[in-house]
Formats: sequence, C-alpha cells, structure tokens
Amino acid sequence: MTKTMYDTILVPTDGSKVAQKAVEHAIDLANKYDATVHALYVIDTDAVDIGLGTEQVERIKAGKFGEMEELQERAKKATGAVSTAAAEHGIEVIEDVAAGRPHTSIDKYATKNDIDLIVMGSKGRSGVRRALLGSVTERTLRTTHIPVLVVDFRKEDE
Amino acid sequence: MISAELLMHASVLLETGYTNALEEGFKIIPALTVVLMIAIFLGVGWFFRVAAVDELWVAGRTIGPVENGMAIGANWMSAASYLGVAALIGTLGYFGLAYVVGWTTGYFILLIFMAAQFRRFGKYTAPDFIGDRFYSQKARAIAAFTTLVIAFAYAIGQGSGMGLMAEYILGVQYEVGVVVFMLVTIGYVALSGMLGTTKNMAIQYVILIIAFTAGLYAVGWTQGYSTVFPYLEFGAETAALSEIAAEADRQFVEPFAQASLYGWVALAVSLILGTCGLPHVLVRFYTVDNERTARWSTVWGLFFICILYWGTAAYAVFGGLLYEDPVAGDTAVTEGVETSFMDMPGADADALVVLAAQLADLPEWLVGLVAAGAVAAALATTAGLFISASSAAAHDIYTNLYNPDATQRQQILVGRATIVGIGLLVMLIALNPPALIGELVAMSFAIAACVFFPVFFLGLWWENATSEGAIAGMLTGIAISFTAIINDVGPMYVGFGGENALSPELAAILPGTSSALIGVPVVFFVIIVVSRVTEDPPEDIKRLVRQCHSPEPMTQQQTAEDVAATDGGQPGDD
Repeated sequence: MTKTMYDTILVPTDGSKVAQKAVEHAIDLANKYDATVHALYVIDTDAVDIGLGTEQVERIKAGKFGEMEELQERAKKATGAVSTAAAEHGIEVIEDVAAGRPHTSIDKYATKNDIDLIVMGSKGRSGVRRALLGSVTERTLRTTHIPVLVVDFRKEDE
Repeated sequence: MISAELLMHASVLLETGYTNALEEGFKIIPALTVVLMIAIFLGVGWFFRVAAVDELWVAGRTIGPVENGMAIGANWMSAASYLGVAALIGTLGYFGLAYVVGWTTGYFILLIFMAAQFRRFGKYTAPDFIGDRFYSQKARAIAAFTTLVIAFAYAIGQGSGMGLMAEYILGVQYEVGVVVFMLVTIGYVALSGMLGTTKNMAIQYVILIIAFTAGLYAVGWTQGYSTVFPYLEFGAETAALSEIAAEADRQFVEPFAQASLYGWVALAVSLILGTCGLPHVLVRFYTVDNERTARWSTVWGLFFICILYWGTAAYAVFGGLLYEDPVAGDTAVTEGVETSFMDMPGADADALVVLAAQLADLPEWLVGLVAAGAVAAALATTAGLFISASSAAAHDIYTNLYNPDATQRQQILVGRATIVGIGLLVMLIALNPPALIGELVAMSFAIAACVFFPVFFLGLWWENATSEGAIAGMLTGIAISFTAIINDVGPMYVGFGGENALSPELAAILPGTSSALIGVPVVFFVIIVVSRVTEDPPEDIKRLVRQCHSPEPMTQQQTAEDVAATDGGQPGDD
C-alpha cells in the first residue's frame, strides 16, 4: 500500500452534534484517502471534577475506570456512532477512550498512534460561556504539531 | 434563641462605641502567610493536576488510609471546628461541650454502619445513592436539592469565619473581608478544582492542625497555664474561670445552666446523626481502594479530628481568662461594656482562638499563623461543599433529570455556574450572618440528619424500604428541619417580629440547630410505615442491598452492583 498524505485520521468526539459534523468530514476524507479512522472519546477530568466530584478523578487516576459503568457507556456511545457512520462506507474505525485534559490527551494519543490528521468540530462561543469553558479545539490547535482540520458548526446545521 | 441573645449584645455594644477586640491595621507577615499558603495549594494542585491518564484499566497509585484520613479531617473541619467550637464553649460554657461530643461521635456510627457499606455501593454522588437505591428520579431530585441547601447553609459559616480572619490579617472591615476571601474561594474552586484533591486536603489538614496546636501550646506556655500537654492541664484554669464567671452571676461549668438537659442532648444527637448524612463526607468512602481502607480511613479521620477538638475546650478557657485580664490590648470586659467574658460580643467569640493568641501578646507572625490556619480550614471545607453542590446540579439534576445527552462541556458549564451562583449567594448572606459560625453549621447538620441519615441508614440496611417511603421520609425531614430553622432565625433575620423566635414554645422543643432528636425518629417512622403499605422494591434492588453488607468480602474492582449482576439476578436496568 502506498503511503498517502493521510493514512490515519483521528476524530475526537464527545458525542455532541458539533462533533458529529466533524465525523462526516473525517469519513469523507478517509474514503478518498483510504485511511483508517480513530474515534477517541476523552473523559475530561475537569468535567469529572466539577460534575461528579474530585474523588472521582482520583478514582480514574487509580486505574479504576472499570468500575465507572456510566462513563464507559457514554464513551462507547460516542465512539460507536462514528463506527456506525463509517461502516456505511466500509471504513475501519478504531475506537478508544482516554482521560485527562482534552487537548493534552488528544495530542498525546495522536502522537502515540502516528496520526496524520485530526478532524475536530468547533462551535463559536462568546461571553460567559467562553469564559467558563474555553475551546478544546482552539487549545488543541495550539498544543499539537499534527495538522488539524476544524469544521465549523453553525446554527443552521442543527 | 441563643444567637438572638448574642446578637442583641452585639447591637447594644455598638451603641457604646465598642466594636471588637481584634487588633486593627494591615499586618504584612500574616498577610504573606496567607498568600504563601494559597500559593502552596495552587502549586500542589498544579503539580498533581491530571493532564492525561495513561492507563485507565490498570491499577495505579491508590490513596492509603492515613492520607485519606487527613483528607477526611480537612474536608470535615471547617471554620466552625477551628473557631466556632471554642467560641461556643467560651460563651456558653458546659453547653458548648455538646458540640465537641456531637461533632466527633458521628464517626463511630459511620465506621460501624456506613463507611464500608457505602464503599460497596461505589457510585459517584450522594443523590446517586438515593436515586439508584430507591429506583426513583424524584427521590434523586429531592436529594440533590437537599445537597444544595446543606452546602449553602454550611458555607455561610465559612464565609463568616473568613471575614473575621480578614479583619485581623488585612485590617479591613468584616464585610470587605467576606467579599475578598469568598471571591478568591469561588474563583479557585470553580476554575481549578485543585483545592479538593486528596493531596491538597492532606496539606490543608497539616497546616490547620499545626497552626491550631502551635497557638494553643504558645498561649498555655507563655501564660503559665500549661506545659507539655495542655489538653489535660487546664483544670485549675477552668476552676478560676468559673469563679470569675460566678462573680458576674454567670455559670461556666455548671451543667445545663445555659440550656436544658433536653437542649444539650438534642444538639448532640443532631450533630452526631448529621455527620452521617453529609454528602461531602460520604463521597470520600465511595472511592477508596476497598472496604478495609474505608474503615481505617474513618478511624484515622477521627483521630486527626480529635487532635483539634480536644484542644478547643482548653482554648476556650485560656481565651476566657485572657479576655478578662489581657496581657495586651483591650476587650469588652476591660473597656467596661460587659461584666463577664461569657457576654462577649459574637464577633469576639468567633475570633476567640485568634484573640487568645493576640491577648497573650504573642508575636504577630504566630497570631497570624493561627488566623491563617482558620482560613485553611474554611477554604478546605468550602471546596468540598461547593464541589458537592456542583455535582448535585451538573450530574444529578442537569444530566440525570433534564438532559440525559448532556456533553461533558455542558456539565462543566452547569457545574461552574452553580459554584459561582451558590458562592455569591453565600457571600451575600455571610455579610450579615443570622447566627454564630458554629450555629450556622449546626443548622446544616440538622438538615442532613433529618433528611439524609434515615434514608442512608435504612437504604443500606433494610431491603424493604421503598421509593415511596424514602420520598415521604425525605419530605417530612425537610418540613421538620426547615420549620425549626425558619422559626428560630426567620424573624431576626428578615426583620419582622423582633429578636426572638416566631414561636418560643416551638423553638424550645425544636431548636433550629437540633431538630434531629425529634425529626429523625419521626422520619424513620414515616419511611417504615409508608414502605410497609407500598409495594416491595424490585428483586434486583433487594439483592443490591444485601450485597452492601454481605460478610463475603469483595475484590477491589467490584461494586455491589457488579456482584448483584453476576449473582444470577437481572442486572440493574438503569
């Protein structure tokens, strides 16, 4: 097999519509380049901290993700959606789950797995939401040296 | 009622021009101590922050019982323990001991009946337990609401304590102090969450216990009250102090002089059972390595807590003597506005631990260290409370009840907004707190005892407790505890009907701080009766309960649900 520009494409997903939009682009590219798609769900430790409690972050750190069924289900659902969409085009998807700060985890995963292209969705945020959340995509852009394709999600896409 | 009396004193004192005994003015070394302390917390949080977890499925480093015990201690001991207990013993004498007994004994019940069982259940939040065990989203909603209320009431006392310490350290007005320290806390917890890691909790414990103990030893040593073990050396001082009190016609050591035997017992029972119903205390047991660690963490936690509690009475006595006859500075007694230390204004009482060091003319850095320890205690507990509130809102209310497809980003948004919202509300109320720090916190304990303790206890130990029973019980608990609190502080706070309780008769049998003596048996009764007349819980729930206290030990990775699922029964359908 000849090496193309994009052999492995990573699409990080949190199961949202914004991410779904990026998945469409990732699959189309994978189809054209005959690439393998990696679907990664990152358990955001900030979300675990604030949404489930600080102790739960330590539980993940201690390698006890196996006990946290609801989180596993969420991850499975998000990456499973990518597999389903890709199956229609006969594209192979490798599903994986990581934990940490999303942009750091995405970069780490991409480097480790020799990813050629990261495809991510982005939703413009402003004001309070931006202050409280920031943008994972923006931070990933600044962190990683791997090419990133940003797919903008607009209101009319809903 | 007690607080009404004290607040009345405070307003009388204001008319005479006396404000409080804490030294005025900005103090550079104590201020730097606080800044350094916060920098250490941030640094530790940053250093141990989770950037990326390498192995999700392989056991990593776990937290041992000693470290976990320290975290329990820091999470638990707030400004109420650090400042409030000594204040209550100092002004109410024997009655204040109910706080010492109440705030330690609860751990025995946790140890025997609940710690290991909660570990077996192994979920995420306290409302998770209620929602899953009682197979009801309505029960989960009530539990989440109660979690928010407890965090709110508990945190007011912390805001109040931080304001008092800022008065000494920064030399600012109480109100300014509350605003500054609360804003720091809100920003800290909402944006980093670092404050609540076990490492940070353990360090917070070490700082607060060193500060508290150093102050106690230094006051005792320099004044000749005590030598190597002040905890057992303040008998003569107590006798001397009670004589001084008697001269002013007040009773310091006489049991039940300030409040009846009933009042004493009701308070102690409320605090004991409230300990077993606090969401931010219980979640620590969910995540420890195994049941053995859960039990030993409780034992260590109790030990670490006792070190402080044991010293509170000695502090109160030393502080009382110094308040009567200070080495340096002036107090309400020396100024002639009050005849006895037991009548000191609320602001002085709540600062008594720091005040004792200041009145003993200890060097400023040491007094500052004692004050910084109080800030550490308040910060640690507030972090735990705010996180329990944010998880109740983001996980239990938003995700489980409102938007099951919520993304992690949405959960962060809801969680942070909750912390900011509840934090600002706490700040606002703490500007003019309705009671003493210790009493405010005791009220949240009364709520925890009346609403949560019965459903936790019966939920873990009685498989036939039904969702209808739990809901009826929790609503009864809310009705009883809220009525008692509103009756007590409502009129004084809202400003109608004067300083006394709405109904003094009701307040005598159902005080806002101690409604659990009556409330808990009533709620138990309601749960049992309603459970009896409603349909039994499903079989898989019953099996879950049995698993929570089965004698067969489980492996590290198992939770009760796993075992129940492999037990031949239907796996949980949630």
